[in-house]
Amino acid sequence: MDLWQLLLTLALAGSSDAFSGSEDSSKEPKFTKCRSPERETFSCHWTDEVHHGTKNLGPIQLFYTRRNTQEWTQEWKECPDYVSAGENSCYFNSSFTSIWIPYCIKLTSNGGTVDEKCFSVDEIVQPDPPIALNWTLLNVSLTGIHADIQVRWEAPRNADIQKGWMVLEYELQYKEVNETKWKMMDPILSTSVPVYSLKVDKEYEVRVRSKQRNSGNYGEFSEVLYVTLPQMNQFTCEEDFYFPWLLIIIFGIFGLTVMLFVFLFSKQQRIKMLILPPVPVPKIKGIDPDLLKEGKLEEVNTILAIHDSYKPEFHSDDSWVEFIELDIDEPDEKTEGSDTDRLLSSDHEKSHSNLGVKDGDSGRTSCCEPDILETDFNANDIHEGTSEVAQPQRLKGEADLLCLDQKNQNNSPYHDVCPATQQPSVIQAEKNKPQPLPTEGAESTHQAAHIQLSNPSSLANIDFYAQVSDITPAGSVVLSPGQKNKAGMSQCDMHPEMVSLCQENFLMDNAYFCEADAKKCIPVAPHIKVESHIQPSFNQEDIYITTESLTTAAGRPGTAEHVPGSEMPVPDYTSIHIVQSPQGLILNATALPLPDKEFLSSCGYVSTDQLNKIMP
Amino acid sequence: AGSLLLLLVSNLLLYLFDRAVVLSHYIHNLSSEMFSEFDKRYTHGRGFITKAINSCHTSSLATPEDKEQAQQINQKDFLSLIVSILRSWNEPLYHLVTEVRGMQEAPEAILSKAVEIEEQTKRLLEGMELIVSQVHPETKENEIYPVWSGLPSLQMADEESRLSAYYNLLHCLRRDSHKIDNYLKLLKCRIIHNNNC
Repeated sequence: MDLWQLLLTLALAGSSDAFSGSEDSSKEPKFTKCRSPERETFSCHWTDEVHHGTKNLGPIQLFYTRRNTQEWTQEWKECPDYVSAGENSCYFNSSFTSIWIPYCIKLTSNGGTVDEKCFSVDEIVQPDPPIALNWTLLNVSLTGIHADIQVRWEAPRNADIQKGWMVLEYELQYKEVNETKWKMMDPILSTSVPVYSLKVDKEYEVRVRSKQRNSGNYGEFSEVLYVTLPQMNQFTCEEDFYFPWLLIIIFGIFGLTVMLFVFLFSKQQRIKMLILPPVPVPKIKGIDPDLLKEGKLEEVNTILAIHDSYKPEFHSDDSWVEFIELDIDEPDEKTEGSDTDRLLSSDHEKSHSNLGVKDGDSGRTSCCEPDILETDFNANDIHEGTSEVAQPQRLKGEADLLCLDQKNQNNSPYHDVCPATQQPSVIQAEKNKPQPLPTEGAESTHQAAHIQLSNPSSLANIDFYAQVSDITPAGSVVLSPGQKNKAGMSQCDMHPEMVSLCQENFLMDNAYFCEADAKKCIPVAPHIKVESHIQPSFNQEDIYITTESLTTAAGRPGTAEHVPGSEMPVPDYTSIHIVQSPQGLILNATALPLPDKEFLSSCGYVSTDQLNKIMP
Repeated sequence: AGSLLLLLVSNLLLYLFDRAVVLSHYIHNLSSEMFSEFDKRYTHGRGFITKAINSCHTSSLATPEDKEQAQQINQKDFLSLIVSILRSWNEPLYHLVTEVRGMQEAPEAILSKAVEIEEQTKRLLEGMELIVSQVHPETKENEIYPVWSGLPSLQMADEESRLSAYYNLLHCLRRDSHKIDNYLKLLKCRIIHNNNC
């Protein structure tokens, strides 16, 4: 007995120690929850304290304080109601509740603070659950398997919705009875919501909970609403109205097929024509399709030439003709308008543009092609009212600008006119020289243009049709000199005017000239500040100067060097080697031996830098 | 014609109130978010709420603190009270935006919300003035509103004090925006729906 008693007391002591120890160390009253259901009252709860062991913690007290308007009073008041909210709680009625004033509460036991908490009432708002849940059937699907219902409820009674004191949002959850996981819907502000696609043969549970809209937490869930959807007779639906679609389709197809075959094999041509009209063969007015079949292109061409819109591909015969397209990189430099204006009127250009030409401005008509129609070009910016008519003529092989000859003969006025003024001259030419295409993307373009011979010296030595050797990005055209010493060309002895001419040549912009030529021209007019003129002038309007002109212009000065232009076999066509816009183009100097070796081997023109070198 | 005019005016009021409530709700949401983000980032768990001994600059206004007080205040005073609160927040919001923007690592989330709140508060004030002109046309323009003088505290060198000032300002903003939202909802139900929302 003694042993048992000892063991019992020991056990009891041990257990009591354990209890009291845990109580003392860890089991302290703590606030569990503070809640306001309707924003007019609130209550706070704390843990139930178990008094065991030797330590007697004494009665638990709750003190609260709230910040007054101006200062944070540390005056703690005791809980006004320990009863109404149940055990271990403190209830604050509406007179003690202020919404936008923060509270602090503390739990004391034996004078010592056990727990403390601060909050404002809005944070602890947790509305009561909604009431009066019910549902109505919205519709049933055609298959009779699914149905939609509308669930309705009411706000909790104590939440003052009518006066707008509280604004609630609700969350509905539903699930099948035997499921475990609830399906949630998005929060809604209204008190009714449709639930779609419920299975008819299953039973569902629905519950709703509410929350204040901007703050607080969700309240408790409402009572569960059980939804049992009425079973419908699944068979009745299907037999009701059954339109024999399939039969109709089959018979329809059959009937159409029969009709089709009847018509196809029918001897009646009329019906056949009606059902399946013949497809018209292509036909051009006046042209016998047999001609096309036989390949008599020439005849076809002649016939078609009557039509305005047809541009014959005469180049197909000329294998030595190369089409080179100029790709102008700086569109702003190439002043299209002025080019077009100067060169051609737009409609004429178009009428002459070949089908294969990318650049609408360029005309590909050969100078001396007899088949090509004559074109009348009207330059918009004709100075002094001179008008040119470019007569296309064929250039042959290394052909010089013979056309110019003819042209000059036709236009006698130009022979005698040696105007000192420079005018933009445009030349219609075609590049015939079968040289390899220029490298590095430099291209030259065919320019159909007016020829306006303003420079008498150029008149003298340049045919009416000069060949465009280069095009500057800025839009000026460099002509190759072509044949020198054209017979029959009246030489405008412009000696007295050479100087001024030269000067004016340089005065104009975008002058491209051989280094040698430039060198020639400069000493001609030593008093002329060519340098100063040239540099600023490079940006102005276009001027077309041929190397030939410069050559002749420079021919007069009494330089020791023989005029390179007149004797140097300058090729008519030089390909562009490099385009250094806007400073200049470097031509391949395949046959341009320069007397002066210090210059670049390629002649054709100089860049401003080189020009500066030349200048004294 | 009189009834038609009344109908028109009541529709206009309904529209104005609806819009005002939407705006106030939006502003309060933004303020709450802004406060949460600020607290989370700078002051969380540091007991600032207990240290916040400064009260809001609008505390001098006699605002209803619970439902009964809100029901007792008359309509006209209620409206002008709301307008005063809104007016008094013009300047603090402006400075809040400026100061946050000038921060070294300006928190974008907070700054964008501050900017938006400033903008929407101006709109709400305009709307409120419209409502007042409709409901109480005889109201004299009362420009008196509490002045905010917390700018120096926002610019203090001591980080603790500065954070405390920001915390206080954002806390007050959240509270006042909630007040305005609540008051407007009360007024809407009172004026438009006759206490039967």
